[in-house]
Parts: sequence; C-alpha cells; structure tokens
Amino acid sequence: MTPDRLSVILFLSGILCLLAAIIITLLDFVFRRRSLRRMNDMIQAAIDGNFQANNFDESMCAAVENRLAEYLSVTETQMAKVAAEQEKTKSLIADISHQTKTPIANLLLYTELLKEEEGREIGETAALLENQVRKLDFFIQSLVKLSRLETGILALRPCKSEVAPLLEEVREQYAVRAEEKGIYLRVLSEEVREVTARFDPKWTLEALDNLVDNAIKYTQTGGITVRVKPYELFVCIEVADTGIGVAEEEHAKIYERFYRSMAVAHEPGVGIGLYLTREILRQESGYIQLASKPGEGAVFSMFLPKD
Amino acid sequence: MTILQTKDLKKVYGSGESEVHALDGVNLTVEKGEFVAVVGTSGSGKSTLLHMLGGLDRPTSGSVTVDGKEIFTLKDEELTIFRRRKIGFIFQNYNLVPVLNVYENILLPVQLDGGTPDKAYIEDIIDTLGLSSKLNNLSNNLSGGQQQRVAIARALASKPAIILADEPTGNLDSKTSQDVLSLLKVTGQKFSQTIVMITHNEAIAQLADRIVRIEDGNVKS
Repeated sequence: MTPDRLSVILFLSGILCLLAAIIITLLDFVFRRRSLRRMNDMIQAAIDGNFQANNFDESMCAAVENRLAEYLSVTETQMAKVAAEQEKTKSLIADISHQTKTPIANLLLYTELLKEEEGREIGETAALLENQVRKLDFFIQSLVKLSRLETGILALRPCKSEVAPLLEEVREQYAVRAEEKGIYLRVLSEEVREVTARFDPKWTLEALDNLVDNAIKYTQTGGITVRVKPYELFVCIEVADTGIGVAEEEHAKIYERFYRSMAVAHEPGVGIGLYLTREILRQESGYIQLASKPGEGAVFSMFLPKD
Repeated sequence: MTILQTKDLKKVYGSGESEVHALDGVNLTVEKGEFVAVVGTSGSGKSTLLHMLGGLDRPTSGSVTVDGKEIFTLKDEELTIFRRRKIGFIFQNYNLVPVLNVYENILLPVQLDGGTPDKAYIEDIIDTLGLSSKLNNLSNNLSGGQQQRVAIARALASKPAIILADEPTGNLDSKTSQDVLSLLKVTGQKFSQTIVMITHNEAIAQLADRIVRIEDGNVKS
C-alpha cells in the first residue's frame, strides 16, 4: 500500500467520522427538542387544566408524564377536599340553625304561656319546657363532642385495654331502660374476660353506647344481644337487635351526619350517633359494619385492632 | 369524582348457537374512595366484569374508563403499562412471586415501573398490615392469610387509581377471612383507596360501602 493511498483512506475515514458525529449531534438535538416540546406541552396542558396521561410506553417521557399526572391528581384531590370541607361547614351551619329553631321557638312559646297562666297548670307547661331544653341540650352536647373529635382537640388515645369492662358498663347503663320497655338486654361479657384490643376506653364506650341506645330505641319486641368475637388481628363487638332493621339502600347513608331514615321520623334523635361512632372507630384504625334487612333486626359490628 | 365508569359493556363468548352473553350492557360508576362490592353467583358474569375493569381482557363492545382514560383505546403494550401504574390487583390465589421475599414482592410493581419507592409510605403500609416481622420471609413460607396481606400491601404500594379484588378470601377459612377483610377495609379507609371487590358471599359484601348485584350479565338495581 502506498503512503498516498493510506492518507486518502485516513482522510476519507476522518470525513466519515466527522459526518457521523454531525448526524448524531443533529439527531440528539432533534430528539431532545422533541422531548422538551412534549414536556412543555404537558405543562401547558396542566396549566389549562386539561392534562391527561396518554402515553403508556417504556420511555422516560411517558414516565415523567405519569408522575405529573399523579402529582396533578393529588393536588386536585386536595383542592376537592378543601371545597368539600367548605361545603360541609356550610351545611353544618344550616343544619344547626334548622335543628335549634324548633326547640327555641317552643321554649319561647311555653315561656309566654307560663307568664300568662299565673299559678294554674304550671307543672304541665314546665314539663314541656324541660323537654325542649333537654332536646336542645342533647343536640348541643352532641355537636360539641363532634367538633372536638373532628378538630382533633380531643385526640383519641388508643391503648391496649380489656373489652369486658366496656360491656359491663353498657349493661349497667341500659338494663333498666330495656326492662322498662319490656325487652331483654343480654350482655355476654363472661366468656371474654381476657380479651384485649387497642382502643380508647372512654370514646369507645361512647361508640358502643350509641349502638345500644339505637338498638333499644328501635326494638319493640324481643331484645338486644351484645357479644364479643375475637379474631387473630381484630376484635369484634357485636350489637344484635330484633328491631325494625335497616333497608339496604340506607346502609351507607345512616352514618352520614344528621341523616334520619324516613322510617324513624317519629322517634326523637338528631342523626349524630352513628356518625360519631364511625368517626371514633376510624380514629382507632377500626371500622363499623352493618348486616340487616327491614323487619329482621340489625347487627352492628365494631371492629377494633388487637394491636 | 368518578374514578371508574363502564358504558354499555358487553362481552360475548362463542358465536351462533353457542353464543354466551357473559356481560350484557353493564353500566357501572365508582366514585373515588368508595369501597364497592360486586356480588353474584357463579356464572353471573362477575369475573368477566372484573377482567374488563382491570383491562385483562377486551370487551366485545362498550367502554371502560379508569381515571379519565378509556382503557380499550390503548394498544396491548400500553394497556399492560397502564395496568401496572393505575390498577392494583388482589387475587384469590395471592399470585406472589415465590422466589422473592415479602419486601421484594411488595416493591415489585413500583420497581418494574422504574420508580423510587416512597419509603415512609411503604413502611406505613407494612406496619398497618402487621407484616413488619415477616419482611425477609419467602412468600411460600407464609400462611394463606399472611400471603393475602402481602398481596394487599403490594396492591397499595404503587398508589394505584383503583384496587380490584377477586374473591380475596376465597382460599381462606372464615376466621382468617374476617381478619384479611378487616385489614382491607381499614387500609382502604386509611389510604383513601378506591376498592372494587368481587365476591359470591353476601356476608363478605356487607363490608363494603355499596353493594352492586350482578345477575345474568347485568347489574341489578
């Protein structure tokens, strides 16, 4: 090979290398521009509020797009939460004014009557007055509990505790009321002496009280059985009654604040008990479950974590 | 906010004489954060429905929209990736990878996606499901209930838009079932997850916020 040919080959390959380098640089430039443009479009779409993750391939760009979608969905959820909170506050104020209007109007009316009656029949009117005041008092107390629970002023302090004392407390509180109504109240606390779970005793008693209170209220014949079912990870406290039961389409609604079933419109109550019970259990990492059909009684189960 | 919606979803198996309408125009809407149970007897079409919702099989006609995306407009490969990112599955037979330990199983979907796992979040899940002491065990050495708890953790780990559970307690005794279901309920509540659970068992369905009944390929209301 002559030195001439060698230098020509070297020269040519040099040119080729240069060309290749230029092409690669150009391609890289184009790809990079395309990626950047795509991201730019994504962000623009996000600003305009019509962003959607459309690419599901293994490229980095698609992964970035997906992360952005996740981020936006989190932000959106938070904004929706704030809006929902505001809506809740509004409806709460509306509910409070609605719930307090009647008792206050009645109180005023009976006070007027009392002024006019001058010594006759005072006892009867006073009883009516007392009744209204009690209603108002119950409602306000429930509200206070609720707001303390919701704002976290009274944070629950779940700790490992025995379940049996809860049941005994319930028996003491409600035995007389059940007897007066002519229904039985069976509390099976004997066989669960050793069973413990992680819960806040005071608030959990409140939750259980609400269930037993409801059970007595909505049972005319038969009675109520309270029992404990221990599982490996959870403990279930069950309140079973033979009362009017709950229609399936209402199973979710009964936990809503101020929800009252049409079927029980004649019974006193404001629709706070079950809401409170569910909130208490939620804060204890537990939950509540209902099995019921109209006319066949209801079984409410409170599930508490063991630890 | 609607997270899952089906429109006139139909699935026909076979043709002519042996034609079977497994799904016959199902319209279903699930809101974000809801726990919905789909109840039906065997042959009612509930498993077919779950396969459609999860993009595991394509419908004959109709659409499924998950998190604002009509999933059957995606190509097969795109659909696979969509599933990995947006849908968490919990199966009756757990479907864990036997050669991986518990921790690796939980992280698998996140790692497949090339994402960095959110450590604090994953630890919270593991703690809530009571798996902290089992992380180094191979999944084969766990009891059924424990395996299903790992599967729940795995489904939650990738923060999917929706979790689909197909008879999650089908292979468990009734006592263990109650525990696993309780955990599913509590974790769903805690991490605001949307869950759709398929079951033939009415008692299990009571756990959900809402029960949808399916009969002869159609939703009964």
